[in-house]
Amino acid sequence: MKITENISIYEKLKILTDAAKYDVACTSSGTTRGNDGTGIGNCAQSGICHSFSEDGRCISLLKILFTNECIFDCKYCINRRTNDVRRASFTPHEVCELTMEFYRRNYIEGLFLSSGVIRNPDYTMELLYATLLKLRKEHRFQGYIHVKAIPGASLELVQKVGFLADRMSVNMELPTADGLKKLAPHKTRKNILAPMRLVQNERSVNKYEIQKYRNASRFVPAGQSTQMIVGATGETDYQLLRVSESLYQKFDLKRVFYSAFVRVNDDKDLPAVREEGPPLLREHRLYQADWLLRYYHFEADEILSEENPNFNVLFDPKCNWALKHMEVFPVEVNQASYELLLRVPGLGYRSAQKIVMARRYSSLDFTDLKKMGVAMKRAMYFLTCNGRMLYPTKMEENYIARNLLEGMKVPRGVREMSYRQLSLFDDVRFGGEISEKNICV
Amino acid sequence: MKKIFVCNDSIEGLFSAIYEAWKSHLRDGIKEYGIRLEGYLDTEMFCEYVRVEGSEKKVQAVERLIMEHLGWYAYKIIYQAAMSTDPMKGDAILATMFAAKEIPNSRRIMEHLSHPQVGKVVKLAKNVGEEAHQWTGFLRFQELENGVLFSEFKPKNRVITYVAPHFADRLPIENWIIYDETHNEYAVHEAGKQWVLASNLEIDREKVSCVSEKEQMMQELWKEFRNTIAIKERKNPKCQLQHMPLWYRNHMVECTD
Repeated sequence: MKITENISIYEKLKILTDAAKYDVACTSSGTTRGNDGTGIGNCAQSGICHSFSEDGRCISLLKILFTNECIFDCKYCINRRTNDVRRASFTPHEVCELTMEFYRRNYIEGLFLSSGVIRNPDYTMELLYATLLKLRKEHRFQGYIHVKAIPGASLELVQKVGFLADRMSVNMELPTADGLKKLAPHKTRKNILAPMRLVQNERSVNKYEIQKYRNASRFVPAGQSTQMIVGATGETDYQLLRVSESLYQKFDLKRVFYSAFVRVNDDKDLPAVREEGPPLLREHRLYQADWLLRYYHFEADEILSEENPNFNVLFDPKCNWALKHMEVFPVEVNQASYELLLRVPGLGYRSAQKIVMARRYSSLDFTDLKKMGVAMKRAMYFLTCNGRMLYPTKMEENYIARNLLEGMKVPRGVREMSYRQLSLFDDVRFGGEISEKNICV
Repeated sequence: MKKIFVCNDSIEGLFSAIYEAWKSHLRDGIKEYGIRLEGYLDTEMFCEYVRVEGSEKKVQAVERLIMEHLGWYAYKIIYQAAMSTDPMKGDAILATMFAAKEIPNSRRIMEHLSHPQVGKVVKLAKNVGEEAHQWTGFLRFQELENGVLFSEFKPKNRVITYVAPHFADRLPIENWIIYDETHNEYAVHEAGKQWVLASNLEIDREKVSCVSEKEQMMQELWKEFRNTIAIKERKNPKCQLQHMPLWYRNHMVECTD
């Protein structure tokens, strides 16, 4: 039975923020839009972080659910219908008001509207559409809007919403169809992939239209993203990474987000509570590998394999790859191609670009690299400048691995390995020294 | 003898000093020179100190020189570096301009990163750009009783000329004021018009503290939102601190309690 009560906007915001916090994406990047002078708002390509919450994640968008009165029964979700939590729904007016007032005060970069499924998917999607329409047309809001497509909603509705939003996402939730069946019985692979495909096709049509007609409205200009839960079902890192790779290649996704599973419900199908907390290191490694896929010309099969399906706890995926491919190293700074420099542990694409630029003017040695701000801590074992290494180094996997480990702060869980058996998925919480900064770009 | 040009900390001062140094190099063949800012002088021996008066003519001449020979991109970087707090920025900029004469294509001078002074200019510019970008997110407006949005912040570098255009585009139909405490400058924007830069004005504290009715409620809502959005199981204050250092937080409503 549903008890309706009058809830203040303050309470509603609290309930529906609390319900939305497990969604990872907070990005406001990927599109540029100037203001037309009739309302407020614009978009910056890089995205802008407006604050950081206690867990260190950036707050860029007003991330709320439209409603948490959900008819679905996904076992990992706090809002599943069988849970006894307070329920609330916004009205389109309230969402608009909050967004506009927060935006004027520069608290936020835009709106991230997600929702539980109220009555049925189409009804929910219509509510989201009504909200966005009001915000865009009545309030002339031109800031960033990220909206979720509700699995199972009709594709026409998804398309209509797409013309009002900057980014759309449909959550994959779980990498395998079996996992989905087990934990999210009301969602199917088909219902998730259908809107994803629609957005992809519509975007490629739209690209052409924009070129042809000056006033054509833009469809999801910042692209689509998705999210997967890590550690709720028994898949390996290799499987996860393969799914991401195919999403990037076949669905043209901008981002795949990973969220370490946090156990909020008691259910026999969910993994037991881990005393170390959510598998944050695993999530971190997945993001690192994800970066390698998107910016560093790596393929999933290079990073992991059937025989070696999980990430190394001690080394990041690139370092791990380098240690297994000692024949490639050392790399000569003054001659190596950009692509090869990208494969050197410790060198990011910015450093690689700087090196390629600067070596046109004079041959570089290690002091130059340091002056340019290239971090040498890990890179020094893999680089030569004019044929010389920084220190005499044996080009041997074990020797370098040992040196890299010395002076490295080992993630907290790993230090206890001597007396604690390493769990199956290397889920160890890492200390603050490993930065999470790459997660929100 | 080494010649040191002393100027005030502004584009006009810096560019005029560069003008003088450039001229004395060409005309008198002086090999050693430096540019120092007023208030940052630690007198060296065997130096001749010259006080430079800023003038629009000199500024234009230097601007033309940079635009013509180093190009628009380098001009942007140099201008941005000139907004930095670093007292030695004048030296770095001047040395960069001389270094540009030595390479085949002067327009690509900003790629010559292994040159220490070019590297420094690029670094300063990056630092200014990064700070400006941070402030576009961390700045907070309060709605005053008369509907004007008011914001104050305390930047390290002089970033107001980078922050204000961002908000002029973003909030064109609002009246707003941004006050830079460090440099005592204001960006003032009237709805539907261009923004203007004002300096050395007295701020009426009483007027500024009269916020609108809605303001209190919105601040409460925002604080509640920010507290609720954090996942308790993932608490990580170190990571938060890294992204949002304490000195940014002075005027952020969510950090004032």
